[in-house]
Amino acid sequence: MPTRELVHAWLALLLLSYGTVLIASNGTQGSAWMAGGVLVLAGLKARVILARYLGLSASRFWMRVFDLVIGIFLAAAYALYLFGSGR
Amino acid sequence: MNHGTRTGPQRASSDVLSELPGELMMWVLIASEILVFGAALMAFLAVRVSDPAGFAASQALLDQTAAAVNTLVLVTSGLCAAAAVRAREAGSRNVARRWLFVAGGLGIVFLVIKGFEYASKASLGIGIDTNPFFMFYFLITGFHALHVVAGVVLLAVVAWADSVRNMEAAVAFWHLVDLVWVLLFPIVYVLR
Repeated sequence: MPTRELVHAWLALLLLSYGTVLIASNGTQGSAWMAGGVLVLAGLKARVILARYLGLSASRFWMRVFDLVIGIFLAAAYALYLFGSGR
Repeated sequence: MNHGTRTGPQRASSDVLSELPGELMMWVLIASEILVFGAALMAFLAVRVSDPAGFAASQALLDQTAAAVNTLVLVTSGLCAAAAVRAREAGSRNVARRWLFVAGGLGIVFLVIKGFEYASKASLGIGIDTNPFFMFYFLITGFHALHVVAGVVLLAVVAWADSVRNMEAAVAFWHLVDLVWVLLFPIVYVLR
């Protein structure tokens, strides 16, 4: 059986995915808040996969490095999205 | 990893590298794949700047429900793959194999759903040369689907050649596929 930690990670991923669906279906299309929310949830999902599934939580240094890389990527994606939406 | 008797900065850098779980080369692959897919998604968003209305109209033709279901399929498959490694580390080889087969089976489910998605686009006459949105859509999701195929094959291989080291490496690749999908999904399917 999977460990409790793995099951918690999986439940977190399911909840975050459900959150993405909720925001996407209820948020105003093209809204900056909706886009920001969806990208934040994507970052949190990526963090759970890295920390729990890939075991990166054992190294604070590498967790920070990957947090930084994914954070920069998502911030740049959000900026490009806003620019493309004429904001 | 044995780094010998190093001193100073050499020692410090090797200590940092030894903090990575599993194989260093697997982490090099994970980092490079994140950069490759990240660059492709950035290009997608950059081209969207020139035609946001066209991208929104094209994206409205995508099946968000199928993509959301595929997210659940992949993260569940990731759980099964991680459980396989834990079982193998505990010495339960047959249990580990069973978890790998479930993980790989879910990978095949992902590909079947993706196949239906592509077929529905083809039935509408939509292809890679329809417009820039669909060129990126087919290239990015197709490249990801190829990774899923490779991952399923790898999981099958390590169910047979089932050393802990082999299994850890294959499962790390499987988690990479998962990781790329959770970043790809909102940008390609949701942001409008």
